[in-house]
Amino acid sequence: MQEGTAGTSGAAVIEVEGLSKRYGDFEAVRDLSFRIGAGEVVGFLGPNGAGKTTTMRMLTGFVPPSDGRIRIDGADIFSEGLIARRAIGYLPETPPLYPEMTPTGYIDFVARLKDVPRSRRKGAVERALSRCGLLDVSHREIRQLSKGYRQRVGLAQAIVHEPKVLVLDEPTVGLDPIQIREIRALIGDLAKTGGQTILLSTHILAEVEAICQRAILVHHGRKVLDQPISEMMGGGLSLEDVFARVMTREVDEEIGLDDHGGVGAAGRAGNGGAA
Amino acid sequence: MRHTGTIAARELRSLFISPVAYVVLTLWSVIAGTFFLASLIGFQERLIQLQQYQMLQQIQAMNLNDGLIEPFIGSMWVIILFLLPAVTMGLIASEKANGTDELLLTSPITIWEIVIGKFLAGVGFVFVMSGIVAFFPAILFVYGEPEVGRTISGVVSLMLVSVTYVAVGVFASSVTRNQLIAFILTFVLLLILGMMLPFIVEISMAGSGLGSDSAISQIVNWMSTGNHVERMLKGLIDTADLAYFVIASAVFLVLSKTVIESARWR
Repeated sequence: MQEGTAGTSGAAVIEVEGLSKRYGDFEAVRDLSFRIGAGEVVGFLGPNGAGKTTTMRMLTGFVPPSDGRIRIDGADIFSEGLIARRAIGYLPETPPLYPEMTPTGYIDFVARLKDVPRSRRKGAVERALSRCGLLDVSHREIRQLSKGYRQRVGLAQAIVHEPKVLVLDEPTVGLDPIQIREIRALIGDLAKTGGQTILLSTHILAEVEAICQRAILVHHGRKVLDQPISEMMGGGLSLEDVFARVMTREVDEEIGLDDHGGVGAAGRAGNGGAA
Repeated sequence: MRHTGTIAARELRSLFISPVAYVVLTLWSVIAGTFFLASLIGFQERLIQLQQYQMLQQIQAMNLNDGLIEPFIGSMWVIILFLLPAVTMGLIASEKANGTDELLLTSPITIWEIVIGKFLAGVGFVFVMSGIVAFFPAILFVYGEPEVGRTISGVVSLMLVSVTYVAVGVFASSVTRNQLIAFILTFVLLLILGMMLPFIVEISMAGSGLGSDSAISQIVNWMSTGNHVERMLKGLIDTADLAYFVIASAVFLVLSKTVIESARWR
């Protein structure tokens, strides 16, 4: 608690320090550090297999890190797990739905799990359903809903307790263009009206340009770029160009790096070069 | 433990939406009816036989509890070994298969709340099953005079043993995401725990120089649910037997919690 609020950026809501995750010999995430302040909307970018999902699972306490520290709103995700987890709304890669339940029943169940007080529960459930455009289908079984609607139920589940931090793992993957636009609008709306800190992962660059203020780029489990979107595109380049550049540079470095064998150093160099 | 009820209630509701619950309850009712009828007919036939041979002493010794209720509940205990795995297989395995474990484990709840919630849902279900079984001896009170205490003790022993088996089911369901594997594992564990332990002891003791009353064989026999159930069916509710059910349930629940916790660290 003490350290969390006394950091350099003052009100960092998500603090990640030296985060690593190893599965046997495979390093999914290597020495990842970043801080996200209150109200920031940050895109977590990277190609498939870059370690985005693993990082998000560690942030939300689903998977423990091999190394490093995570604080959510000042509370350590492990030693103060209950406090930290209460501050998080999380939409995993596949929405965690019970197909036999109705959206109303399901969101009410989640509201209970997330400690929404009884007096406010009914209102909170209705609000989450209406914000995600689910009122029309609120009494149908989730299994009968389309993929787009299921994604919305997943989103409603993440926001029902109005958490300080929203962690969204590829919220628009597998949706059709219209659904993508709707979900994006919804996230943008949440960021504006809710004042929530949002970390969303994606590999769609347009998505980041559309809703995020800042992007963190990861590749092979390492952070390779961490910049405000406006700065990234300052040189007249599209985000896609920046992305491609960083990725190719990464590849070059890795080839060079195999000779020297200094993984961590190269990672930091890549980051420093970009910033 | 605030969320325990939330989890148990959701699980029970989902259980009763699914066809599994109804298939199990239907089978259970049909089997109970059949066995009850068979026990009833067997009882009657023996009575007629004894009358033919004028064996008055034996006729006087016959009663509904020994001759009917006890064997009936005893056979239902065997049936539960086969049916209960179908009820408990999904308790935790389906959460993993669905990805909903990611919701539970990232919510501000403890693993104990999850385990106990699941356990209580299973317990609720086996209480319904025991209720169905209790209905049949209840009919006997209309036409005869079974002993109330012994009849209740019989039903209670079935409930207690089922509750312990639910804990076994929760454990088996926590080690896998595959419901079929959970089913088979529960079934095997229940068979060993319920029936096979005494045989295993006998076989392994036969080779060794140890007698059947050695410490090991006594311990293994104590671990077998069968012996405890048999004693309780006779109306002997002993604290040692009660303690057995409590300890066995607790052991499997602690194991379940440990498994879920350690799965996180893999």
